[in-house]
Amino acid sequence: MAEPIIEAENLGISFAVNRRRKRSLREMFIHGKKRDPNAAGADFWPMRGVSFQVAEGECVGIVGKNGTGKSTLLKMIAGVLIPDEGSVRVRGKVAPLLELRAGFNDQLTGRENVYLVGSLHGMDTETIDARFDEIVEFANIREGYIDMPVRHYSSGMKVRLGFALISQLEHPVMLVDEVLAVGDKAFKKKCYEAIERMLAKNRTMVLVSHNETDLKRFCDRGLYIKDGELALDADIETALAAYNADTKAETEARKKAAEEKKLRRQEKGGGEAA
Amino acid sequence: MASRALAVWQNRQVVGLLVRRDLKVKYQKSILGYAWSMLEPLAMAGVYFFVFGLIFNTNRGVPGGDDAPGGYLLFLISGLLPWLWFSTALNEAPKALISQSKLITTMKVPREIFPIAVVTRGFVDYLFTWPVLLLFVFFLGGRTTLMGVLVWLPAALVVQYAFTLGVTFLLASVNVLVRDVERIVRILNRILFYASAIIIPSGMVLDGTSSFPGWFKSLFQLNPLLGIFKMHHAVWYPADAPGFARAAAEGGFALTTALVGALVFLTVGYWVFRRLETAVLKEL
Repeated sequence: MAEPIIEAENLGISFAVNRRRKRSLREMFIHGKKRDPNAAGADFWPMRGVSFQVAEGECVGIVGKNGTGKSTLLKMIAGVLIPDEGSVRVRGKVAPLLELRAGFNDQLTGRENVYLVGSLHGMDTETIDARFDEIVEFANIREGYIDMPVRHYSSGMKVRLGFALISQLEHPVMLVDEVLAVGDKAFKKKCYEAIERMLAKNRTMVLVSHNETDLKRFCDRGLYIKDGELALDADIETALAAYNADTKAETEARKKAAEEKKLRRQEKGGGEAA
Repeated sequence: MASRALAVWQNRQVVGLLVRRDLKVKYQKSILGYAWSMLEPLAMAGVYFFVFGLIFNTNRGVPGGDDAPGGYLLFLISGLLPWLWFSTALNEAPKALISQSKLITTMKVPREIFPIAVVTRGFVDYLFTWPVLLLFVFFLGGRTTLMGVLVWLPAALVVQYAFTLGVTFLLASVNVLVRDVERIVRILNRILFYASAIIIPSGMVLDGTSSFPGWFKSLFQLNPLLGIFKMHHAVWYPADAPGFARAAAEGGFALTTALVGALVFLTVGYWVFRRLETAVLKEL
């Protein structure tokens, strides 16, 4: 196998809980990254000890409950969060679709925003010039709107323009976070086609989604994140199955607990009546 | 460190874009647009000239005597214009990262470019005011020297840029974690304005005839901004040139403080910025 394009090693990130800012500031200056062992107890680790490798051309789906650190993981791969432990190495540029509308400035027109955000993602002006019409067409922005300030756009329009722009990036790695859920049917179809086209060009993709159909459609591998740890690294079917099984078990456990509670209350009530 | 510098350099185009975006946003919504860049310093200069030039019509201590070419009015303008650059940067520094949190949390760009963009925008705004300055120079008969144009002007700009950038790095990162900084800055802004000899020639404090004690004169010269603005003034008033280590009345050691201060602030500011980066990203 060739060198992996994404390499995560023992990845962990901590957030301080109930942090008193003063203490933390001092801590940071004095201890830096090496935290003192006593303070570690107060920290909350949304993610710890995650290691995996992604080869070029793979499409990896990340599944897991809300709040288990899926988006955090994606952000660390994108480099917008720095892990406290371990490291993540990405060979090549990353096109992150983390929050589509983000980065657009409400005061500027669609055109200006495309140039600004495009350049921030590393496109040069000539490339944007060449692809501008394609982007606008893909985003399905009505005539004249592109030269209007983005604050007059509907949220759907902003998202469409964002996706259209990002999908024009030629970076080898794509990170997609839950963004396929937006947009109307026609646009969704376009997105699917765009993603398939990109995958066909041997680009690597990491996808976070709760939509099983989407995941099964694109991904060949699944990472199941459970409580901030990598519970399973297998093909997507297996990962989804494990996730579903866990969810089911949890639902049942909760149901049972609720029933027991009810029962107890009834007993108590019965006891009082008697 | 070197790779970071390279990454910032590769993103210099982005800095340009951010600056252009901010200027566009700033001017788009106002009718007078670009004219505001000039009206503000002009109004300030007008007020100070009225108060200090006309009402307190006493010894204003213009370097080189009150009959020096350009007079007190040019002295005011040539100090106020660069001061506005510093003061806007200082005001915006605490918000340099917070206001861009959307961009920072979704895109991998070196975070340094946001403070750099703030300082650069102030600089561009300052350059825009040069036509007005030259107009005043022309009508007031201001005169410069070879030394002023070739040494003091570039030196003033470089040192001010470095110092302002250091301060911005420091305030931008610390303010994400401790939001009190925003408030301190407002007070600081006011104090520094009067401490940096922008409307009051520094000779009023430093000259042998002034009644200030020696320790106060030394303290006064420890402000790096004093040297920076003395350099700005020295372009038109050679007598105001700061010195490395001279007697207080002859320029003092303000130049040394300015150079060392700029270097220290840039180093410390950047070090803190890098040190806090991990925590800042989590907080945004």
